Amino acid sequence: MAAATQTPDYDRQRAAAERAAIDASCRGPVLYFSASAVFWLLIGSVLAIIASTKMHSPYFLTGTPELTFGRMRMAHLQAVALGWSSMATMAASLWMMCRLARAELIYPKILLASATLWNVGTFLAVFGIIFGGGQSVEWLDAPQYAPPFFIAGLGIVSAWVAAVFRRRREPHVYVTQWYILAAVFWFPWLYTVAVMMIFWSPATGVVQPIVNWWFNHNFLGLWLTPVAVGTAYYIIPKVIGRPIHSYYLSITGFWALALFYSWAGMHHLIGGPVPAWLVTASVVGSMMMFIPVIAVAINHHMTMLGHFHRAKYSPALRFTVFGAITYTWVSFQGAIESLKSFSEVAHFTHYTVAHAHLGAYGFVAMIFFGLFYYMIPRLTGREWASASLIRVHFWTAAVGITIYFVGLSIGGWWQGRMLNDPNVPFGNIITYLKPYFLTRTIAGILMTTGHLAFATLFIMNLAGWGKKRVGGPTYFVEPLKTTNSPNAKN
Amino acid sequence: MDRGMVIFLGSLLTFASSWLGLVLFPFWQLQGEQPYQADPADDPYPRPLQGKALEGKKIYQREGCLYCHSQQVRSETFGNWWDENGNERTGADIKRGWGLRRTVSRDYIYDRPTMLGTMRTGPDLANVGSRYSESWQHVHTFNPRAFNDWSVMPSFAYLYRKEKIVGERSDNALKLGREWTIDPGYRWRPSASEWDAILANQGAAIMSQFLAGAASDIDVTTPEGKKRLMEFWLTTEEEGFQIVPTDEANALNAYLLALRKAEVPLPEAKE
Repeated sequence: MAAATQTPDYDRQRAAAERAAIDASCRGPVLYFSASAVFWLLIGSVLAIIASTKMHSPYFLTGTPELTFGRMRMAHLQAVALGWSSMATMAASLWMMCRLARAELIYPKILLASATLWNVGTFLAVFGIIFGGGQSVEWLDAPQYAPPFFIAGLGIVSAWVAAVFRRRREPHVYVTQWYILAAVFWFPWLYTVAVMMIFWSPATGVVQPIVNWWFNHNFLGLWLTPVAVGTAYYIIPKVIGRPIHSYYLSITGFWALALFYSWAGMHHLIGGPVPAWLVTASVVGSMMMFIPVIAVAINHHMTMLGHFHRAKYSPALRFTVFGAITYTWVSFQGAIESLKSFSEVAHFTHYTVAHAHLGAYGFVAMIFFGLFYYMIPRLTGREWASASLIRVHFWTAAVGITIYFVGLSIGGWWQGRMLNDPNVPFGNIITYLKPYFLTRTIAGILMTTGHLAFATLFIMNLAGWGKKRVGGPTYFVEPLKTTNSPNAKN
Repeated sequence: MDRGMVIFLGSLLTFASSWLGLVLFPFWQLQGEQPYQADPADDPYPRPLQGKALEGKKIYQREGCLYCHSQQVRSETFGNWWDENGNERTGADIKRGWGLRRTVSRDYIYDRPTMLGTMRTGPDLANVGSRYSESWQHVHTFNPRAFNDWSVMPSFAYLYRKEKIVGERSDNALKLGREWTIDPGYRWRPSASEWDAILANQGAAIMSQFLAGAASDIDVTTPEGKKRLMEFWLTTEEEGFQIVPTDEANALNAYLLALRKAEVPLPEAKE
């Protein structure tokens, strides 16, 4: 990528025209996926605040079956996992695959149908649960009429990503493409098997929770994580105009993730009525995760080294780097959390909830926010209308997830210690937890404020309120000319 | 790695290994499990849920009970804590009275879905059927804070019906003071002025009701006396109204009473 600075003007113009054509082909479907993702993020945030408030103030909105805690909790998870995270993942996969393959999206209108299928599926899942169709299978709570929509929509996206890859004009296959290809291959398999073995043709007894945890952990590990890690691999070099630190480390990181992440997950059944070897296998898988995590960490952070000051200017970079640093942290934590002596305390507590949110929000959502700040202006041809709103979004999200994580980790840890001591009456544990539940609501309100700022910016951009994209992007502050990389524009 | 086939085959093999190891192996290992009979004359254990309890399981699912209540009793060697003498001990679940033994895979062979759970904001329910009576469960489901003021469990008052008493109070009616029934789902207390108005109207009747069961008199001219009489009055049942369970409340209760997973001895559950 550094070589691009030496390319003659003629080639630069041709490359710019090619990028413009690719972005034009992606515009409809990718913006549709992105806008839907933002919509479900807002719905999910509201559901989260209601559920969280009910944990410390049980009389809040009581008396309405539709708003009871369990239904809000299930609907929240569906809205943010399938609505927000998955649709953002698909938007990211489609756009980055086209850009990196240097190929235009073919038949984009069919992808509009795919996004509609996902929206219908998410709508049925969220409102089906609210009106009494929840399944109480963690992460798979959607009523049974929703999964066919997800599987059909996903099938189209996977096929299109593969088709774009096959039509690639760029012979070099970049690390982001490996992650995207693998993810769109793994997830349909994962989802279909899980739905089949739990609902369509239920496996015996405890095999269901085994399949359930295999799905839950891999949903994050083999669907959201690869695309989010791939996004960081894309955004960081693009914005700072430097190549990735080490090609070989990126290969190690990719294959180690493929092999080891898929074996983790069963430690969530520690102490449960399942074969002990399963839990042990997953602990091994989790510990081996140190390899890909360290490889990716070195690659991301060493690429950034000496360029951290650019995060002062670039919103896309600041969100992405926050996410990349969180990925290192949350993965180290996750590996240690799987150890038996640790898990015996943390299991069945809010410590795990804190960890899950650090992964799904602090890492995945933050990187997708970063990608959106980079990608959307290139699709709409408009810059972001307000740097202040982006700043609000960043700080509420960053402070919010920090409060969330710290509060529930402390509360959850001591909840686990007290649960393990039979002399502590159950009521004392709940009384102890209540202030920590309150910190979660405060954190949730902060993050939701950020999401409102984000959605406002998004709508303004779609409505054409930003300045036309001619110069550089919307920075937090205008960088000094000397630090502005010539590649940063596209 | 510029070849798509390498990426495809590699992703296929790595994921297939996990599918085989973590899903198919346990599937084959556990699929043939049969109910247990110590003696051919005994009823086999476990038995599938039937009738009302099966209906109740759907309500348990629909309301997301799983998100706070697990259904598994862990081994006596699980976890650790230190007793008053500083000795390390293990196994809290059984000592908390959540079951007589740990649960094993055979306990769940008829469960669809199997709701092991991942969170204990509430206590474990694997064996809750043997811990509480039907009437306790109804009152607790109606408003958990009627028993435990620290509880954060939702009130499921919408599974109950408040109705005018025609003739006698029903046998099924929840035995609950007006504190809980005047505004179902909430805890109700009159404000100072409301209480004064109530006292002015029915003070004598409330007083005589109080005196019927109490040894000492209350001086309602003092604020403490007024408060004491109010506390008493709130625990008495509302006149003319009763709270009765709907079919759904009965079904949920039947399911909770049927949860007895950690009682029948199984050879593989011995430690």
